[in-house]
Amino acid sequence: MLTSPSPDTLQVHRHPELSLADEARLLRQDILTTLYDTGGGHYGGSLSVIDLLLTLYRRVLRIDPATARHPERDRLILSKGHAAVALYAVLRRLGYFDWPLSGYASFASALEGHPDMTSVPGVDFSTGSLGQGLSVGIGMALALRKSGQHIWVVLGDGECQEGQVWEAAMLAAISRLDRLHVIVDCNRHQEWGWTSPDGSRPPPLPGIADKWRAFGWQVFECDGHDYAALETTLQAASAERAQPSVIIAHTVKGKGLPLIERDPIRFHCDAVSADEHAELLGSVDLGFSERVSPGNGQEQGAEHTA
Amino acid sequence: MLMKLADHAGKILAELAYADPRIFVLDGDLADSDGAIHFAQRHPQRFLMAGIAEQNMVSVAAGMAEAGMRPAVFSFAAFLCYRAYDQIRICLSQANQPVMLIGSHAGGLLGRNGKTHAAVNDLAVMLSLPEMQVWAPADWADVELAITHSLLDSAPSYIRLPRRQFEEATHLPGIAAGSRWLRPRQRVCIVSTGLATHWAMAAAELLAGRGLSIGLLHCAQLKPALQWQEELASADLIVSIEDHSRFGGLGALIDRLHLPAARLTLGWPEEFGGKSGPDDELLDYYGLSPERIAQAIEARVRQPATINHS
Repeated sequence: MLTSPSPDTLQVHRHPELSLADEARLLRQDILTTLYDTGGGHYGGSLSVIDLLLTLYRRVLRIDPATARHPERDRLILSKGHAAVALYAVLRRLGYFDWPLSGYASFASALEGHPDMTSVPGVDFSTGSLGQGLSVGIGMALALRKSGQHIWVVLGDGECQEGQVWEAAMLAAISRLDRLHVIVDCNRHQEWGWTSPDGSRPPPLPGIADKWRAFGWQVFECDGHDYAALETTLQAASAERAQPSVIIAHTVKGKGLPLIERDPIRFHCDAVSADEHAELLGSVDLGFSERVSPGNGQEQGAEHTA
Repeated sequence: MLMKLADHAGKILAELAYADPRIFVLDGDLADSDGAIHFAQRHPQRFLMAGIAEQNMVSVAAGMAEAGMRPAVFSFAAFLCYRAYDQIRICLSQANQPVMLIGSHAGGLLGRNGKTHAAVNDLAVMLSLPEMQVWAPADWADVELAITHSLLDSAPSYIRLPRRQFEEATHLPGIAAGSRWLRPRQRVCIVSTGLATHWAMAAAELLAGRGLSIGLLHCAQLKPALQWQEELASADLIVSIEDHSRFGGLGALIDRLHLPAARLTLGWPEEFGGKSGPDDELLDYYGLSPERIAQAIEARVRQPATINHS
């Protein structure tokens, strides 16, 4: 059933020069510039998911950007498809395509508003209507069971309100799909939802780890902006046997951009002024220097797991 | 032995699976009713009872198709087309994944199950999806054609099958095709699909006995639509008959041809959402029994303005 090219071309594509932190800074610039050129979009969720996408693509996934549909590649499904611009930015830097991101979601661009496998090389499955990606991942894991690929599915915590996610969670555990992995981009916000700063209203998915555990999954948690923690946790999840695994990646909506972090409801999906755009670009560098300071990631991890 | 057409679908896939390793069957906990049992018994390693979770099941099949397999998803038509419509829209139609949807118990005749299990506007919702191939077979040869055609194609398909059981040997005249004349073309022609072709055959026989010869074009394949324009160009009256709402199904496809012929559209009334009861009583009440169909056609033909008898 599976045909050439040979699996030898598949490998983890580490950047030859840039650290993950350096590349993440460039990707944040890509996201900000693209969304500004486009006239607005999903700032918050694209910036919360970007570090974990980058870590997956540069440290874990065995892929071949020159043969985007290589049958034996690992798969990644961005089930929270509204963060498409983050995925496109990563795919472009990996060399899947070289079209400008600035045409994103315009009529003339192949870069459809939500990830489109029929028009964008490197998109492993089309998403955008929430809650469907994990089921697709189960299908891939079942079909590829004997050939050893890993299937990664990125969900939002708000997305986990969709019932289909739990239909899928049940079936994956029953089927013992240990090469199927979920990462929840747990930014504790949704478009118009429930979290309040004083904690008087619940997050999108209260008791998130307990719920996944109850459905038969091996649960990991980590800081979704700490590259070392992410890499370690992703590798641990890869090694899991007999159970599917989920990583609850604790993230911040708009991470690295104070203007956005302060107002996650506005920036679920919004446009910015020229002045705000300049401020955002300026703060990418500040966010970079903060993030690489030792201890920052650990403090966040401690806070989230408390 | 009495069998549903969905039983044939399960058996045909089981046969084909010996030579085609891509075939896999998923079922939503209705295998003993929807025909999947025949596959499950012979290929247990290539069968998944995916639970009472149709949305998940359809997306799972899409993922398998992306990875090179040719999954067929079995359930009742209502639960596939309605419960999982968004998954069909996104994962099969928009993503253009070659998954076969085998919907048993389609149409308005659900016996004691009644309205919740009926699918009387499934063609409307499926015909309007990009890429989706749509079939409404009427005998086992049609089912075989629909399945083999779907396996050769690279698009998703929906194969709509009735709850009714037939004698195993039941087959319509002629050789299975996307559409074919079961009675030679006349000035008055019936166009029918799926189970309704059996109603149409019986009605046409009644009318022949009363001196009125009617042509009968059976359409097993509804999308992509075939060359019905040429087949029906010379008709004076075209009667469409379907086990579906009069809105959005075969009748709508015929209307879209904009032929000069007069039209009579027979099917379930738009306000009909399904009803428990025996087939015969439902068909008679809603004007779809062979006798009621024959009467409707006869009344229309006898209207002087409709048909030019010269």
